[in-house]
Amino acid sequence: MQAEDRLDVERLGGLAGMGLPGSRIRSVGCVQGHELSAAERSRLGALFGGARPAAEHPGAADGFRYRLTLHRAGAAKPEVVEVPEAAVPAKVRDCVSDELT
Amino acid sequence: MRMTCTCHIVPKDVLERLAGDKKLAPELRKAARDTARLSDGLRALRDQAGMLTQIAQQTGAHLVELAKTPKVTVYDCKQSQTLPGAPVLGAKTSKDMTAKRGFAETTAVAKFYRTVFGRNSIDDAGMTLMSSIHFGKHYNNAMWNGTQMVYGDGDGKLFIDFTQGDDVVGHELTHGVTQHSLQLAYSGDAGGLNESMSDCFGSMFRQWRAKQDVTAADWLIGADIMGPTARGKGFKALRNMAKPDDKAALAPQPTKYSQVTAGMDPHYSSGPPNLAFCTACVTLGGKSWEKIGQVWYAALTTSGAHPHMTMPQFAARTRQLAAQKYPGQAVVAAAIDAGWKKVGL
Repeated sequence: MQAEDRLDVERLGGLAGMGLPGSRIRSVGCVQGHELSAAERSRLGALFGGARPAAEHPGAADGFRYRLTLHRAGAAKPEVVEVPEAAVPAKVRDCVSDELT
Repeated sequence: MRMTCTCHIVPKDVLERLAGDKKLAPELRKAARDTARLSDGLRALRDQAGMLTQIAQQTGAHLVELAKTPKVTVYDCKQSQTLPGAPVLGAKTSKDMTAKRGFAETTAVAKFYRTVFGRNSIDDAGMTLMSSIHFGKHYNNAMWNGTQMVYGDGDGKLFIDFTQGDDVVGHELTHGVTQHSLQLAYSGDAGGLNESMSDCFGSMFRQWRAKQDVTAADWLIGADIMGPTARGKGFKALRNMAKPDDKAALAPQPTKYSQVTAGMDPHYSSGPPNLAFCTACVTLGGKSWEKIGQVWYAALTTSGAHPHMTMPQFAARTRQLAAQKYPGQAVVAAAIDAGWKKVGL
């Protein structure tokens, strides 16, 4: 991920089932590449490069997942990955806000 | 940059990439390298813990009983996402109402499992019940992370403090019970069953505490954590076990098993088994935990590890157990049959 790219973020699941079909809560946000540090961009870039996030503890439940949509400057189509909360940098986690639809 | 104990959750290849990135400061690269090594150790530990759980389950005997009744501990994350947080000493009498409530509710769930089902804690061997409160800033969630319960404070608008829901505390702790019994996966049919177990036992705990019979019960999940904005818009709970497609629920669910498809989130696919349980309880009458709850508990804890159990398999198991446990009371099996038939199983 580069400074000029944009990342759309949607938080899914959790105990409240955010963003599920029919759900009345949606949690979305957006962060620009230049708002992130080089280390954060590198970490996100790895996720879009196919890096598999660390598995959650067996038996873990109700954690959030994040759908990340990367709009690379000049690219025709965005790239999408879905990862557990632990794989997402704090600044990206914090960009979403929960709203009723 | 301060490396906290949460760093083990960063993918190892990312850590290794950071460790080798010459554009980063040396101390950051060293921290990433150290964390990658730590991550390996923790992953191995997790794998071993999982295997030990499976062996203990398969042999039907625990190696050691830690305590006759579980110790209950509470930690304060102080709005960070670093687990477990700082220990709260004297949580039972803490001036922090969240800590006090977290302790009291967890203790009550342990008592519920002990009194009603004869179970000694999550693992039936006195495992310490650990909860972290004030997790994150305005965090709209509660979860079981595989070793402990975690509670957010809510944003004060859509949700309030998640420890305020007795069913929520029962729900999260039950994820631990499932982990130490059926070991249901968190996807497909098994994922929906996993979530449903937590809703069923969370709701039963709520009813048991209030001494409610099935007609007095509200069958709602999360009614007590709804914030003023959500209430103002007419939402009364997260889910309604008696009417999964209720429009007044924040996350309506399917009502038929035929609507469950691969890839569904477990909080969505839990609708049919929730409705089956509720229907069975209401059909039989009385207190949910006295008979139908006993059958569900037996299905959860006497079927061995079955991570990919399907909903039809679970339904068949409850039908079988109803006949075994209550041979002279055909009404129990009939009520369970009515429950599963209602959802198409």
